[in-house]
Amino acid sequence: MPQPTTNIVVVGGGTGGTLTANLLAKQLQDDIHAGKIRVYLVSGAKAHIFQPGYLQVAFKNQDPKEIIHDEETLVRREVQWIQQNADKIDLSSRTVALAPGESLRYDYLIIATGSVPNPAAIPGLKEASLNFHTSPEESRKIWNAIEQFNEGHVVVGISGVPHKCPPSPNEATFMIDNYFRERGIRDRVKITFLTPYPRPYPAEPMSKVVEPRFEKRGIEVVTFFNVESVNPTKREIYSLEGDSQTYDLLILVPPHRGADVITKSGIGDADGWIPTDKNTMKITGYENAYAIGDTTNIPVSKTGVTAHLEAIVAANNVVSSIRGTRKLYKYNGRINCPFEMDSGKASFVVGSYEKPVRQIQPSRIRYAMKKAFARFYWRTLSGRWDWLLKAYFGRTYQTERT
Amino acid sequence: MATPETLVKPTTIVDSRGTMCPGPITDLFKAYRNSNIGDVIELLATDPAAKSDTQAWAKRSGNEILAIIDEKDHVRIQIRILRKGR
Repeated sequence: MPQPTTNIVVVGGGTGGTLTANLLAKQLQDDIHAGKIRVYLVSGAKAHIFQPGYLQVAFKNQDPKEIIHDEETLVRREVQWIQQNADKIDLSSRTVALAPGESLRYDYLIIATGSVPNPAAIPGLKEASLNFHTSPEESRKIWNAIEQFNEGHVVVGISGVPHKCPPSPNEATFMIDNYFRERGIRDRVKITFLTPYPRPYPAEPMSKVVEPRFEKRGIEVVTFFNVESVNPTKREIYSLEGDSQTYDLLILVPPHRGADVITKSGIGDADGWIPTDKNTMKITGYENAYAIGDTTNIPVSKTGVTAHLEAIVAANNVVSSIRGTRKLYKYNGRINCPFEMDSGKASFVVGSYEKPVRQIQPSRIRYAMKKAFARFYWRTLSGRWDWLLKAYFGRTYQTERT
Repeated sequence: MATPETLVKPTTIVDSRGTMCPGPITDLFKAYRNSNIGDVIELLATDPAAKSDTQAWAKRSGNEILAIIDEKDHVRIQIRILRKGR
């Protein structure tokens, strides 16, 4: 009697979803070829965007095409890519509904639907502010705006929390300062960095790296400013704390929420983040369902590196369960965010659940590493280069017998 | 300032235990955005920066710290929202 096929469904085709599907296909390829296992990737996005590249498009005039690849070229052939978005996920009946009227039954599920920038959460923000978090096109608008900007007040910062890529608001500020210096008009441009946090970078050790550099560059920092609303006509920003700021050019990172499918499926918290075990990546209350990357409510930065490291843990736990090895992989909360600062220099924000973020000074070598990683990104999605990342990151998970 | 015996019943409890900076203050800001004048937000945190960050924020924003209680393995901070928006 033939064995029933085991269905593994990965929902979401960003960094975490694409990598998870590829890792599973790589590790289970013999069973996939034998027809015992199927790995599905459910994602309607045909274009895969390297999101850290938004900053380069916005502030360094990089061609948006250079940060986009066809998803088709990134997915292993053993993966069955369903080119539509999930409509609803039912964890109880183990089904992923696809529009219209189709559904996939799963034995194992990995949700990697990411986060959604939500400028509409703050009145006036969408109309008033440019941003480098929503699309290459929106990022391109920033370049067009700063090219035409000759004098006045530029306000850059964080409008609300949470948001993905924690260093990016600071990076944007350094980059815009560099840009106006290179044009020789920095003395005609006032730059203000706006943040809800008590200091320029939320984690104090790295803020001590940023603060003197902002000061040296004449960048004004306004702290404890949670944006309540923006008036695009008056060009004024108002905070929940009761303060206000004026601007000529506004570039604020919008607050983020979970994906619509999570909210629609009723499997997230009030903001659409899925309650997830911070070590095993299992969705709370479910043995066979996982969430990774921005999708979860776990207390680490929402970044591509985090999604990558969590994808390894989730994929290994699925394979371990299928193989019956009783080996449980547990993510240690490692973060490693590249952080571009001075022109040609970068740092990294490094920490884990056990080790708080430490101070790392920017250097040219770290900048070269950041640039190298951007080029290497596409290859890392194949899952074939994890030995190299492992050599770089060291231990990012523990294993235990169950 | 209140003692453990005189703590008021909070409108919202924000449990940030186990999260590191800026987890607690991030969670507090989310609760602040959803709060009304007169609400009491109770923040539970294990991160050592939570206490000083919350105190600094309350002072700057004109909100009132009602209590800071050092429990066995976490800190409990009660804030009354006195000011929000213009």
